[in-house]
Amino acid sequence: MKALVTGANGFLGRHVVAALLSRGHQVRAMVRPTARLEELHWPEVVEVFRADLRSSQNLAAAFDGVEVLIHLAAAVTGNEDDQLAAAVVGTERLLGAMAQASCKRLVLASSFSVYDWSKIPKTLDVDSPIEAGADLYERDGYSIAKSWQERVTRRFAEKHSWDLTVLRPGFIWGRDHADLAALGQKIGKIHLVIGPLTHIPMTHVENCADLFAIAASDPRARGQTFNVVDGEGERIWTFLGSHLKGIGETGIRIPIPYRLAHSLVSALYSTVFRRNTKLPQILIPCRFESRLKPLHYTNRSAREVLGWVPPLKHDECLARTYG
Amino acid sequence: MRAALIGAGQIARQHLSCLQQLPGVEISAVCDLSPSVAECAAERHGVRSWYTDYRLMLSEVRPEVVHVTTPPTSHFRLTMDAMEAGAHVIVEKPASSTFDELDAMVRRANELNRSLIEDYNYLFNRAPLEILKRIESGEFGAVTHVEVLICLNILGPTGFADPNVSHPCLNLAGGAIADFLPHLASLAHRFVGPHRKAHTVWTKRSPSKLPYDEFRALVEGETATAALSFSSNSQPDAFWLRVYGERMLATANLFEKRLTFDRLRPGPKPLRPLMNGIEEGSSIRRAAVGTLMRKFTGGPGAYEGLFELLTRAYRSLDAGGVPPITKQQVLEVNRLVEALKPERNPS
Repeated sequence: MKALVTGANGFLGRHVVAALLSRGHQVRAMVRPTARLEELHWPEVVEVFRADLRSSQNLAAAFDGVEVLIHLAAAVTGNEDDQLAAAVVGTERLLGAMAQASCKRLVLASSFSVYDWSKIPKTLDVDSPIEAGADLYERDGYSIAKSWQERVTRRFAEKHSWDLTVLRPGFIWGRDHADLAALGQKIGKIHLVIGPLTHIPMTHVENCADLFAIAASDPRARGQTFNVVDGEGERIWTFLGSHLKGIGETGIRIPIPYRLAHSLVSALYSTVFRRNTKLPQILIPCRFESRLKPLHYTNRSAREVLGWVPPLKHDECLARTYG
Repeated sequence: MRAALIGAGQIARQHLSCLQQLPGVEISAVCDLSPSVAECAAERHGVRSWYTDYRLMLSEVRPEVVHVTTPPTSHFRLTMDAMEAGAHVIVEKPASSTFDELDAMVRRANELNRSLIEDYNYLFNRAPLEILKRIESGEFGAVTHVEVLICLNILGPTGFADPNVSHPCLNLAGGAIADFLPHLASLAHRFVGPHRKAHTVWTKRSPSKLPYDEFRALVEGETATAALSFSSNSQPDAFWLRVYGERMLATANLFEKRLTFDRLRPGPKPLRPLMNGIEEGSSIRRAAVGTLMRKFTGGPGAYEGLFELLTRAYRSLDAGGVPPITKQQVLEVNRLVEALKPERNPS
């Protein structure tokens, strides 16, 4: 099987490339024109296709001989418009090119950020409600862009009768990427841990990449949506302790009950701050919830449909991240 | 009035936020080359319809006012077509790529009896309006000189200097800095009148794909002189406006709420620096708190001038009065912009 991987040199992308190669698949890696690839040490069998989804004119050529597109590219930094251009306009242009090719199979990297966290009472699963309508625009630029990216992709897939699989990872973590937003607020050496016993919806990057490689080639994945978490997730308090130990820092952890913090944020937002969406993320209730709401998480659908078990246990993930 | 937007990017969001608040204005449609961006803007701002073909939008919606908020190289065609369709046009700066295009736009607007308003939003921020009020009252004395300096790091990996995408403004003479010349020129024009001469220095200090990252100009206006600058390398980011008068000096940072006055005072001369210092310190503290508070309480922030400009524009269009920016003003400002541009970008 030959896969075209966008965002191939990103944090997740480089692991997806490795997972595909280890399963014997061919890979065409799409990277931006100025991307530096030396440190990735890709073998020569990896075909590199340089293009920027926002502007390149030759995207159709990227699909020559490709059987499956694994679309990971998006922007995690920049302002709202940068993120919309990278994730949504880029996706429109990429899928427009795919519509001219023979490739009919597509795996999209979506995100937990598409869910409507306010409406989920207890367990977040693939059939939980997703954010839509006016409420979406109170969310951060990344959530808006990822929601629209998934929406656009589903429309293309329906229009062209493509086999689509959507994977929605939680917090993807690994070496140099373990300072998760769920860990609360850091002020100097003090960490304000909001909801210390809350589980973090996390997936180690190698586990996550493994599921992408499986989903790309397993026919049972077609038409499915999977949440990507390694399991129930570590508690914030415990993971922060492991993280601080792993990076050799000493920090003071101060626990704050979730309900107390949430009530305060909600009250301030609707009174003093007059529903201003330019506030820091943690002061906007829906963004606060999307980082910190105490829910249960499950990879039930991936387990039931594909028999997926994350290949790395948590201790191994810690060792690979901090070792 | 029925309004429509062509271009649904970052600055369009500011226009839409303002239009949503204006009484008597209905945002009829929004248009963008990307269907998702157009639909997203429409959904976000409660706009009834969205398009990817602006000509279709003009013919189906028949807007009375069209906001052109696309990259500058497309402004000429879009503005001309919108006016031909019977709309008044509010166009983002720079209104055109060349002065010849701008001249043609103004001539056509006159022939069709349409308003053509280029967005000089910073003219309508609180600080310039307050300074103009003091000038008009006579308190300030005649203006002798104006300094406008924009310090803005545009060398980062996103935006103008994105190494992977060619920003449309890089096609303009002066590159990315050309995007800011209308701000500098409109403020200079407002305080010193139409220009007679301009001397410019364009340089590049840092490695990047921008043709220039520093700009200086000395302008002789009809009533006074102006020094205009743009610096990509000076930090922190700020938009300094300093107006020198016969009896007063005003200093403002248009990215923030800071506005201070240093003035002649009655009483012993040695006490003047002390009294001015106390007043200035107090103003700076109040402005700093105000700038922080507006981040928490929302609102247009540094785009306060755009909200004021659009409010005045729609009021005048509705009543058939004089618009807040006249076509003559647009012509004179753009003559100065043309004089400030380098002959060509380095290859």
